[in-house]
Amino acid sequence: MANELTLSVNGVKAVVSAAPRTPLLFVLRNELGLTGPRLGCGMAQCGSCSVLLDGEEIRTCITPVSYAVAKEITTIEGLPAVWAAQKKLSAADAAHTLHPVQQAWIDEQVPQCGYCQSGMMIAAVELLSKNPNPSVAEIKDAFTNKPPSPHLCRCGTYAAIIDAVQRAAKAMNAQAATADRRNLP
Amino acid sequence: MTTENSAAAAIAFTRRGFVKMGGALIVSFAIPARLCALASDTQAPSYATPLASWLEIHSDNSIVVRTGRTETGTGMSGYYAQAIAEELRVRPEAISLTMGDTDKTPDGGYSAGFLAGMANVRKVAAYTYRALLKLASNQLGVPIEDLSVTDGIVSGSGKTVSYGQLVAGQLLELTIPVTGALAQPDPTQWVGMTSLDGLAVAGEPPLKPVDQFKVIGTSYPVPGIPDKVIGKTQWSCDVTLPGMLHARMIRPATLGATLVSAGTVDRKQFPNAQVVTKGTLVAVLSPNEFETISAARVVAASTKWTDWSGLPGSDNLTKTLRSYSWGAPAATRGKPEDVAAAFAKSSKTISASYEQPYVRHAPIGPFVAVAEVRSDGNVTIWTHSAQSQGLRARIAYLLGITTDRVVVRWLDHSGQYGRTTLGGDGAEADAAILSQLTGKAVRVQWTLQEDMAWSTVSPAWFSDIKAGLDAKGHIVALHSSFYSPHMFDPRPLGALLAGMPTATSKPGNWIATEWPYDKIQNRLEEAYGRPNLCADTASAGLRGNIMRTPGQRQQNFALEGLLNEAAAAAKADPVAFRLLHTTDQRLIDLLKATAKAAEWEERSSPRKDARKAGTAPVSGRGVCIMIRENAYWVGIAEISVVPDTGMVQVTKFTIGCEPGKIINPRQLGLCMKSGVVMGLSEALKEEVTFDKSKVTSTNWDRYKILTMEEMPEIKIVPLSRDDKDFGGGSEGANAVCAPAVTAAFFDATGIQARRIPLTPSYVTALLKG
Repeated sequence: MANELTLSVNGVKAVVSAAPRTPLLFVLRNELGLTGPRLGCGMAQCGSCSVLLDGEEIRTCITPVSYAVAKEITTIEGLPAVWAAQKKLSAADAAHTLHPVQQAWIDEQVPQCGYCQSGMMIAAVELLSKNPNPSVAEIKDAFTNKPPSPHLCRCGTYAAIIDAVQRAAKAMNAQAATADRRNLP
Repeated sequence: MTTENSAAAAIAFTRRGFVKMGGALIVSFAIPARLCALASDTQAPSYATPLASWLEIHSDNSIVVRTGRTETGTGMSGYYAQAIAEELRVRPEAISLTMGDTDKTPDGGYSAGFLAGMANVRKVAAYTYRALLKLASNQLGVPIEDLSVTDGIVSGSGKTVSYGQLVAGQLLELTIPVTGALAQPDPTQWVGMTSLDGLAVAGEPPLKPVDQFKVIGTSYPVPGIPDKVIGKTQWSCDVTLPGMLHARMIRPATLGATLVSAGTVDRKQFPNAQVVTKGTLVAVLSPNEFETISAARVVAASTKWTDWSGLPGSDNLTKTLRSYSWGAPAATRGKPEDVAAAFAKSSKTISASYEQPYVRHAPIGPFVAVAEVRSDGNVTIWTHSAQSQGLRARIAYLLGITTDRVVVRWLDHSGQYGRTTLGGDGAEADAAILSQLTGKAVRVQWTLQEDMAWSTVSPAWFSDIKAGLDAKGHIVALHSSFYSPHMFDPRPLGALLAGMPTATSKPGNWIATEWPYDKIQNRLEEAYGRPNLCADTASAGLRGNIMRTPGQRQQNFALEGLLNEAAAAAKADPVAFRLLHTTDQRLIDLLKATAKAAEWEERSSPRKDARKAGTAPVSGRGVCIMIRENAYWVGIAEISVVPDTGMVQVTKFTIGCEPGKIINPRQLGLCMKSGVVMGLSEALKEEVTFDKSKVTSTNWDRYKILTMEEMPEIKIVPLSRDDKDFGGGSEGANAVCAPAVTAAFFDATGIQARRIPLTPSYVTALLKG
């Protein structure tokens, strides 16, 4: 039976009508029109449906929508706003600023078919929130060994992803340093 | 000048009228004779749909280019824009591409046919450029030879005019000559289709010389990437229509089962769900996707199928394939008498057999399609097929309507690596059949398990190959016999299971290698074909299909494997041994450059301390080459083997590619690296497994592909040449991995691995001998 559930998605409250055990993926895509997360395996084996839930990566294909109530959901559509809020950008600046991970994905021309890449960017944002300067081995480890499964790319863009994660790290660290200096008394 | 004059004569340039606002130059094509004949034949499908123009230049200087070919993920949309910009002398950013929609694009053609697509758009742009110069010459009163163009501004004798100004206030039409036809069903062809190449631009308009290139050779970004990164792309899985039903398919319990009775839905539990059947096709539909999924689970559990077992089991695969009678070769290249004579004269013969099980395209996103069969019988399909015109013809054929009543709209989706090149094997037929039965728009989303169990596969194969050696150990004769079931059967599963018409495909085979060793003059290559495994079932069995670098990937594995074995027999360095067998300077240059980049140490294989036992890792290195579509490839693998556990790790891979003039250096580098990931995945991990009745490798735990951690350091060696036109650089990297890896395995262990994948179980069994 469908229930009314209140979700917080990309900083906006949304009331949806859905059976509580509906996988979050279908609610985001079909009810809220957020098509960044996409159906891959449907069993948490590939990562193409990933979003952030309170900053932690989850696989929306197996996460019941009820589990996401009262938590903050972030899809790739919401990443620029996350960065703008972190950096306290003015509305004018925010309008034309992407999250450094997204900018790096463009600069390194990462996506080929691109189907898995929103999950890859979500995984990158989470990794950089915990390890601002990951080595190649640490990036490989995060994208391969973190439960529940490796993030899979069939086009084989792994090398470009590693380059993009390191580019994003550099950009975020540089901006963090600037911000720190700005905050000096 | 003769070429230029005849090209100019071929251009018919008409002014359709004057307009108050805007203005445009529209480039379309003269209908070739064959199309005219078809259009006048009431029995044949007509081309009543208005033919879309190829290129338009608008008064605001914007340029629209339309092609039926699509972006498959390797950057073609960028390369096409670069080629058009180069010929038109504009910035590539000024060009917007419309791809794949059958009602908006003129030419058809399969998306992987990049070189044909590139030749087309270059010629379209070149014809247009000549026409624009003529216009400018008239308007400025300056002779054509005194005009030059930069960024769409024509200048001469101190006067300038932009392309937009040239067309302002007018509606101009330029007609260019084409040959060929759009795709049609043709049961006499292997693939059941004809004209998959679509239309080709005819004539030889003068093209810009390579030494004047400004855009080709730069790393122009691929246009669709930013939208993919920010979540703005509309993917085929995102299409929703008013009143649309979500469908999940209930597939047969086994490959050969037929339906006894379909399960039912409890309307109390699933008030909006319904079960639809036709033949062996069973589906559950509801306006709500999760209701569909939940109801489908219940229906699947209560649907009854006949028992069936007829597969040999994947462990018995090669033995079974060898037990078949294959008849005469489907294709032969070489002179049997000369080769027999050369073998008779050779001082030694070596022979080997290579093999590979079934593998599959395995997209990350399982297939999806939306179909709307309207009450007037006209049909629209939303899909990510890489062969829109071919798909359009197949859907029309299965519904029994003329092609002009079907429109295929293309959108991005998961990469599929050749699976839809022949216009079939997707969810489109399921969706069209269900839409016809329900009278609603239907979205069919396959599941991963379904995709992995029921989509087409790259067929298993084996190859017997032998070489005759002279006294020095050089190869003087070669004979290869390649055997594989059908590799061109993309018939849509939905149509097969529903018992509806499908464009039949005829089993065959072909010689896919492009011969790299001109010094080996006496060679005989044979390819044998036969129907799919279990072809006589309702599902047509394990339907074979082409997959990235098809045929050549497999046949080159055998050829390069034998080259490495011959080098070892001659105690020769494998790089030096190859150089002894070719005079092709492009191959020689690339092989030397790649070996240098890999710090290749000249010696024979196996290494002195090779071993086939022990818990400590032993390393090895190996090389292979390939020529394909005017591109040269070299792969050098460095691997580490732990003999007692059978663990094989590729530690470094160096890949060289010389595809003539490199169009986009950054994108070529990305395609080389990503292609290596796919090739190593196949070499180390991939195998479709099945028991006696069904495919069992139906998720990512059972059909394993390479992970990020397993990717080695990859070094790329791209070489560009201005004097050899363009070659295919996006596809072939995957094919130079397996032969290099197995050569490295021999180098490390002294044992020949003539089968892939090199899984721990296969390797330990092999090394224990």
